Amino acid sequence: MSAVPEYVLRLLPGVQFTLILTFGGFGIGAVLAVPVAAARRSRRRVLRLLAISYVETLRGVPPIAWLFLLYFGLAQVDIRLSSLTAGVLGLGLIAGAYLSEIYRAGLRAVPHGQLDAARAVGLGTARIYRHVIGPQAIVTIVPPAAAFLIGLLKDSAIASLIGVPEVTGLSLRFTQREFEGLAIFTAAGIVYFALSVPLATFARWAGTRLTARLVFG
Amino acid sequence: MTRAGAELGVRTAAAGTGVGTSPGAARGEPPLICTAGLGVRFGDLDAVVDVDLDVHTGEVVAVIGPSGGGKSTFLRCLNLLQLPTAGRLQLDGEVIVDADAGRFPVGRRLTGLRREIGMVFQSFNLFPHLTALDNVVLAQVHVLKRTTEEARERGREILARVGLESKAESRPAHCSGGQQQRIAIARALALDPRLMLFDEPTSALDPELGVEVLAVMRELVSDGMTTVVVTHEMAFAAEVADRIVFMSDGRILESGPPERVLREPEHERTRRFLQAVLQR
Amino acid sequence: MIAASLIERWPEWLSPLLGGLGTSLQLTAAFLVIGLPLGLGFAVMLSAQRRLVRAVAVAAVELGRAVPVLVLLYLVYFGLPEADIRLSAFVSATIAISFSFAAYTSEVFKAGIAAVGSGQREASQALGLTHPQEMRLVVLPQAVRIVIPPILGWVVIFFQATSLAFAIAVPELLNEAYTIGSSTFRFLSVLLLAALLYAAVSIPASLAIDHLDRRRGPLT
Repeated sequence: MSAVPEYVLRLLPGVQFTLILTFGGFGIGAVLAVPVAAARRSRRRVLRLLAISYVETLRGVPPIAWLFLLYFGLAQVDIRLSSLTAGVLGLGLIAGAYLSEIYRAGLRAVPHGQLDAARAVGLGTARIYRHVIGPQAIVTIVPPAAAFLIGLLKDSAIASLIGVPEVTGLSLRFTQREFEGLAIFTAAGIVYFALSVPLATFARWAGTRLTARLVFG
Repeated sequence: MTRAGAELGVRTAAAGTGVGTSPGAARGEPPLICTAGLGVRFGDLDAVVDVDLDVHTGEVVAVIGPSGGGKSTFLRCLNLLQLPTAGRLQLDGEVIVDADAGRFPVGRRLTGLRREIGMVFQSFNLFPHLTALDNVVLAQVHVLKRTTEEARERGREILARVGLESKAESRPAHCSGGQQQRIAIARALALDPRLMLFDEPTSALDPELGVEVLAVMRELVSDGMTTVVVTHEMAFAAEVADRIVFMSDGRILESGPPERVLREPEHERTRRFLQAVLQR
Repeated sequence: MIAASLIERWPEWLSPLLGGLGTSLQLTAAFLVIGLPLGLGFAVMLSAQRRLVRAVAVAAVELGRAVPVLVLLYLVYFGLPEADIRLSAFVSATIAISFSFAAYTSEVFKAGIAAVGSGQREASQALGLTHPQEMRLVVLPQAVRIVIPPILGWVVIFFQATSLAFAIAVPELLNEAYTIGSSTFRFLSVLLLAALLYAAVSIPASLAIDHLDRRRGPLT
């Protein structure tokens, strides 16, 4: 176990891939979730059904299966993605499904009277969301979205199974050569823990900042 | 007893009947429960200050006063749901709590004390996952170690006594507020307590449902149950209480027989409170 | 044409994939048997009065939540043999997934315990129940009802996490699909069928849980 600190250092090159996967996936998901959440609230049944199908399908199949489909599966029809692209894309598609549900819960938490009041003063739908509903919903959205981001940091480990040399992937490579599994994966655990602490702190900070801005202007 | 407690005893005796109405006191027995210099402090806030109160067997004491005046906190000290931060508490003349010396009962002594004292809460606090009968049976089996058959039989008797035999198999959610509170009274009575504490038992109820709860309490009192009740129902207090205690800002400002405290209050604060209540 | 070629060999693959799904479900049953009591135990420890007990629980739960399941899996499978503890791949996967499941659900159990109001505790104490009696007879029966829907949600998520056992060659559903894919080079077709089987379990389960959650009124 004395080798743990050394392995922590040797795993550092994997951190950049872990971060690319995490933030790339989260970024894609955060954008993708906007139209999905909007469709979910649409008056048109078709749109609502499409959104529900997307969310349920993405959440109903294990994340690795999606990564395998993108990486190994698409190759069968001659679409060849790099493992990193497949990883970011797959995590992004999954994040879109989960985040759209978080957005939806946030929007639902804004009392209906706010919508009525905004309509009563003659605001259009876009402005209502931009100026009235959005700022209030975001307070409810940030904490679970932040928790999801931290979850995604750990879920990014599955990209090792399609060959992305991120923290877990590197650990596996070292283990196969050096037979120090206990030390290596303890080091990996430490790296993930060390990455999640600043993320959690940042999330808490962002959460209080947003609430403060909404309440105190 | 502390000097202050002795003084209170003298005051009530001088006021006329008071303690004299209770049979236990007449025989010169120690009070069933007695507090001396009792205080509760939450941080910087004094919720209860230097309260001396004797309750003798068979006596009915009503505690009245403005909200936030420490009535409920004081009541909760009597069965140690709230630990006092100052003063002493005696049961049958034996010191149970000496907060100044940091002496509190724990374990069996604490649960033993609580089973002798029944408590009824403002918000009923019935166990929602159990039927009315099982609410009444639970502590009989697990605290008194009665057999289930014995406890169920006794439970049915007591439910009948509060007029709810027909609700024995119903869950609390299927009972009205008044029925729930009567089940809560039955739950406490099932342990054969020597003292009953009521913490604003009708405050959470519509007036017409409060009436049925008061009727049950009236009957209990007429059977001789020793009772301390915190209440806003002045008419009820005047009717059943041997003694009324007025609490404000954590202190007992006045204490005596209902006719005197309610009709000729000595204290300005009591007068203002009664005026405000009676105008409602 | 593409669609037809995608599914043409599904009938012949269905049987091995269903076998794999069986293994996935066995793993699910195994992590439930170990993980549920462990999660409840962590939750009770997290609400304990003794600081040492709480500290042990906090450390275990933080470890389970901060480290990816895949890393836990490798840690058990590759790490423990170095300490001369040799476990089969299935047992290793069960241990890692159970531990992670318990860490996540302990928070739910803890919230459920906290959601049982202080009035219930006071009523129990006023009746003279001891602390363990209060927990066993009053708090836990109510807490369990509160937590059933969110716990079932975690069960579905961790059913999918059994696919991680692929990484240590447990013959579960994804592993069977991958094996077929690498011998036929028809990854897309076989992975689609595997995805369909996962969805066939997960989606109805999720919908049923939502339904249960919406229908749940006051305790009756």
